[in-house]
Amino acid sequence: MMAVRASLWSAEARLAYVLVLPALAVLGALMLYPIAYVFQMALFRTDKLGRLQEFAGLANFAEHLSDRDFWRIAFRSIYWTVFGVAAKTLLGMLIAVLLNVDYPGRKVARMLFIIPWASAVPISALIWQWVYHAEFGLLNHTLRASGWPDPPIWLGYPVPAFIATLWVDVWIGIPFMALVFLAGMQSIPSEQYESAQIDGAAAPQRFWYITLPGIRHIVLIATMLSSLWTFNDFNTIYILTHGGPAGSTDILITAIYKSGFEWLKFSRAAVMAVVTFLILAGVSIVYARAYFRTERN
Amino acid sequence: MRSDRRAKTIAVALTIVLLVILLFPFLVMVSTMLRSSDEVYVTPPRWIPERVVFTNFIEVWDQYDLFVYFKSSFIIAAGATLLNTCLTVPAAYALSRLRFAGRGVILFLFLVVQMFSPVIVVISLFKIMAGAGLLDTYLSLILAIAVFTIAFTIWMMSGYFRSIPPEVEEAALIDGCTRVQTMIRVMLPIAAPGVVTAMIYTFIFGWNEFLFGLSFIQSKGKMPLTIALFNFVGRWSTQWEMLTTAAFLAIIPVLVLFYLIEKQLVTGLTGGAVKQ
Repeated sequence: MMAVRASLWSAEARLAYVLVLPALAVLGALMLYPIAYVFQMALFRTDKLGRLQEFAGLANFAEHLSDRDFWRIAFRSIYWTVFGVAAKTLLGMLIAVLLNVDYPGRKVARMLFIIPWASAVPISALIWQWVYHAEFGLLNHTLRASGWPDPPIWLGYPVPAFIATLWVDVWIGIPFMALVFLAGMQSIPSEQYESAQIDGAAAPQRFWYITLPGIRHIVLIATMLSSLWTFNDFNTIYILTHGGPAGSTDILITAIYKSGFEWLKFSRAAVMAVVTFLILAGVSIVYARAYFRTERN
Repeated sequence: MRSDRRAKTIAVALTIVLLVILLFPFLVMVSTMLRSSDEVYVTPPRWIPERVVFTNFIEVWDQYDLFVYFKSSFIIAAGATLLNTCLTVPAAYALSRLRFAGRGVILFLFLVVQMFSPVIVVISLFKIMAGAGLLDTYLSLILAIAVFTIAFTIWMMSGYFRSIPPEVEEAALIDGCTRVQTMIRVMLPIAAPGVVTAMIYTFIFGWNEFLFGLSFIQSKGKMPLTIALFNFVGRWSTQWEMLTTAAFLAIIPVLVLFYLIEKQLVTGLTGGAVKQ
């Protein structure tokens, strides 16, 4: 019996390896190897075509990590992510609470709220460019009409450009948060609310003592996922401002691309990519652990 | 009861306000695509054009060669979907139904790489594609998109395969089916909704892809929609009435597809912390 089982096992395992191998091979060749190559590139001097010249060890890191610009961009990546995720979480929560109220037309509202997430990001970003148009854009026209006589030229100056770009990123990310929070709220048994109501708890108290603890874990996973997406947002920035004006909306992700493909500074791009990789890998592992934990429960 | 009704009224009012704010760019899109070119650059701008026209929907196909870009986007997205499915269905089956050493490690690996930004590898991938003579081909984008969707689609399908009771598979095995026959004839039909969801996800990802297209494609005939529309902006005084029309047409397919998988997507991304 044992022998039969063992041989079955090995047959099963062999089949499994055959089935998994193609996916793993492609992943290795086109994702893991390129990552390894970026690490290698970061340790070499490169020419304008990105070919490796002589080995430089950590000299590239020493050079680029002592650059003030690098830190400014890295720091901006962090507050871009923090503000972005905070806004997405708060607005997503508000929408989830609203969609959790039972009124006619709620299904339609839910469908409409999803549109910014469902739409193609590069195309949405293009439309936003027109929305933000200083002279002919309908946003500033509407703002003027509703009592703001002198709205900023959104994409023309550093601070407004940062806010405008971040808002588009937030705008894309809100629906996911709202849907996840809503699903979480709806999984809380209604008896909990009923007994709280009998005890005389008002709506804000019910939210604070029942809803929030009930969706705590979901909020954690969703914000972690959202942090990774926000940190990684290339399309919004590249399309809306190209990192400008004067580099005021560059984050690590856009700076890597521009350093490599536009300025042909490949070792700088590689160093930034390595740093970014390490940050992402760290957060991803935390996310993966949390994910496994919920799945097991 | 009265406070209940008041709460509902407030909720509805607030919902409407938020919807107007969040759908603002789409309202602008619709307003712009329904006007003629002489009403685009006017001061002050108008929400409702003096003359509502629908001719842009016809003109845009000639003026912008829209058909070429639609075709490219479709080939890229469909190709990536096909490749992704061939790679991930067997892998997802193995990872969820078979026992073998290294299974946990591989699952963990797939989950972690799911979050990596394409930007990190785009320079290396550019060199690989150049070395293989694949720059400016559909295949370069198909490969890149298939790889960047592997992790999530495997995860999503694994969930479906795992939910099938073991008795179903055992019964087929006892009836004399081989493992592979069981996988194709018994398991795959049951897990079909998961496979379809994964395919739609990959297609949407391919349709919306921007970074790889920006880096690998030069010739106009192979440009996907996202890159083509991006290139139209700013080169000369942008014809926004045409661009918003093209944008509208480009968004509709993914919007429809997205609604089909939206619930599964949320569940898949949160690891079943959310079940709908």
